[in-house]
Amino acid sequence: MSDEAKGAGGPAGASFARLPTGNRELDDILQGGIPENSINIIMGEPGSGKTTLAEEFMFANANDERRPILYLTTLSEPLDKVIKYLQQFRFFDVEKMGRTVLYEAFGDELAEKGLGALLPKLKDVIKTLSPKIIVIDSFKAIHDLATSPQEMRLVLHEVAGLLAAYNTTVVLVGEYRHEDIATFPEFAVADGIIELARNALGTRDERYLRVFKLRGSAYRQGFHAFEIAAAGLQVYPRLVSPVEAASYKRDASRTPSGVPGLDPMLQGGFWTGSATLLAGSTGSGKTTMGIQFIVEGLRRGERCLFVNFQENPTQLAHQFEQIGGKLDNDARSRLELLYYSAVELSIDRIVVSIFQALRRNTIRRVVIDALGDLAMAAGDAKRMHDYLYAMVQHFAVMGVSSLLTLETDPPIMASDENHGRLSHMSDNIVFLDVRPHKGIVVRSLRIAKARGIAHDLQSREIEIDARGVRIVEGRL
Amino acid sequence: MSAPNSSENGKAIILVVDRDPHVRELESHFLNQAGYVVEFEQNGESALEQARRIVPDIIITEILVPALDGLSLCRQLKADPRTREIAVLVFSILAAAGRAKEAGADAFLLKPLAEHTLVNTVRQLLEARTARLRRTQHER
Repeated sequence: MSDEAKGAGGPAGASFARLPTGNRELDDILQGGIPENSINIIMGEPGSGKTTLAEEFMFANANDERRPILYLTTLSEPLDKVIKYLQQFRFFDVEKMGRTVLYEAFGDELAEKGLGALLPKLKDVIKTLSPKIIVIDSFKAIHDLATSPQEMRLVLHEVAGLLAAYNTTVVLVGEYRHEDIATFPEFAVADGIIELARNALGTRDERYLRVFKLRGSAYRQGFHAFEIAAAGLQVYPRLVSPVEAASYKRDASRTPSGVPGLDPMLQGGFWTGSATLLAGSTGSGKTTMGIQFIVEGLRRGERCLFVNFQENPTQLAHQFEQIGGKLDNDARSRLELLYYSAVELSIDRIVVSIFQALRRNTIRRVVIDALGDLAMAAGDAKRMHDYLYAMVQHFAVMGVSSLLTLETDPPIMASDENHGRLSHMSDNIVFLDVRPHKGIVVRSLRIAKARGIAHDLQSREIEIDARGVRIVEGRL
Repeated sequence: MSAPNSSENGKAIILVVDRDPHVRELESHFLNQAGYVVEFEQNGESALEQARRIVPDIIITEILVPALDGLSLCRQLKADPRTREIAVLVFSILAAAGRAKEAGADAFLLKPLAEHTLVNTVRQLLEARTARLRRTQHER
């Protein structure tokens, strides 16, 4: 397993019982859920989804009337407002309200008695309710009641001692800022810290979830995209490299390209499970070659996936029929077309959809057309590269042969640094070129790299017609 | 051998040995609520003296207590004819069930405090102790 996948802080042999968050993907990030009997902070700006996450966690664990889940509001949102908005989510269950999920307003008592009301209140609810989980929203508002840092530290020392003594799991929700982590004592006593953030990306916002700390447990580091949907938080865990390092020679079979004349240049085709970068300028034939690659797989009875960001499935199916002839029902059933608008979607969601399709249908070939669109979804080429590297490693482990098209025109993709990264992660690189030659436009193909293959190094002229790209014998 | 005492109103007496005030307060609350009389000591040495004096029905001890640790306390209680019938429940933050058993403890629970588990364990220990005393009296 890569270091990133392991995350931080997982001592060997340590094992804690976990409470599910109500969100399978977040449970994966947390290596099984939130450790029982821990103090956790969910931090983020207003509107970032903190309360939704806390409530999803509450309802997922509300199953024992003897151990109810308690939600205490403090001095931020009124209780009625919290409950009003709670009801729009699918995880809300009215049957649990007042039985296994208890909502209580603590704000007036705090306003009257100040910070000193906190410890007696917690003792009281423990003694009278035996809560399995206590959520305090907002705890930051309680912090703001402290007359001095010393007072807050002393109260928190007592509160942490009480909560550690009793078998309950605590979630402190607050509009904390990054700089608060180093100075606010609640972060020192917290066993787990989850941050929810929202960043502007072009004309849209992207939401991110990050685990800062999970004492005594491993977790998946980094930024994980999420959306707030009717079901609650829809989390897209950051893609990391697979546990098993990929070997491009694991499968000794070849995957024919479907391009007449190309396979002899590769001693029979690409290695199965390898990743091929197909680079060229606009109109050089990349999408056409991608379709040929897929059509060849369909002819061989394989399941194939074509991911694109510019043409909808109807338009694309038309191109498939032009190049591959009319696909019979069997072939059509083995072809999956995924279309995304890269302007609207996050790369995390796209990657999750690709893997869902791969697992659902035992896909053998994938084409992603084009990486420039994926970079737009990622926000920058570096981030796209990180995802792509991990994705290609997963493809290799799964024995999926991939072909990734790359426009060499757009500035975001054209930097030497980006080309270097993409070259490093690709097993094979094929360049397509279009340039004037003696008064006519000549198209050519060159195999710049084919890992583990004594490939043809020469540039070869190609032609494109209604049936696709083909290598022209003996010219150029 | 001394038979364990009960309080004046017939309730079982439990001696809690723990230095954490929150644990003492919560144990006291839940055990009182379950109908037991609770006494406290904060270190093993004073707990041993108190046990010899009042002979409680049960001693609930943390391992990590000053002066005499909970396991040593348990060994001494079980070695002394005056206190060997006192049921000992080791209730600790240390996952040391095996060591507690070796020391002669009648039961072990890992912290944090879960009141249903605690009260059930106490109830079972009292029932077992009562049955044992009846058998002893019957044999005599």
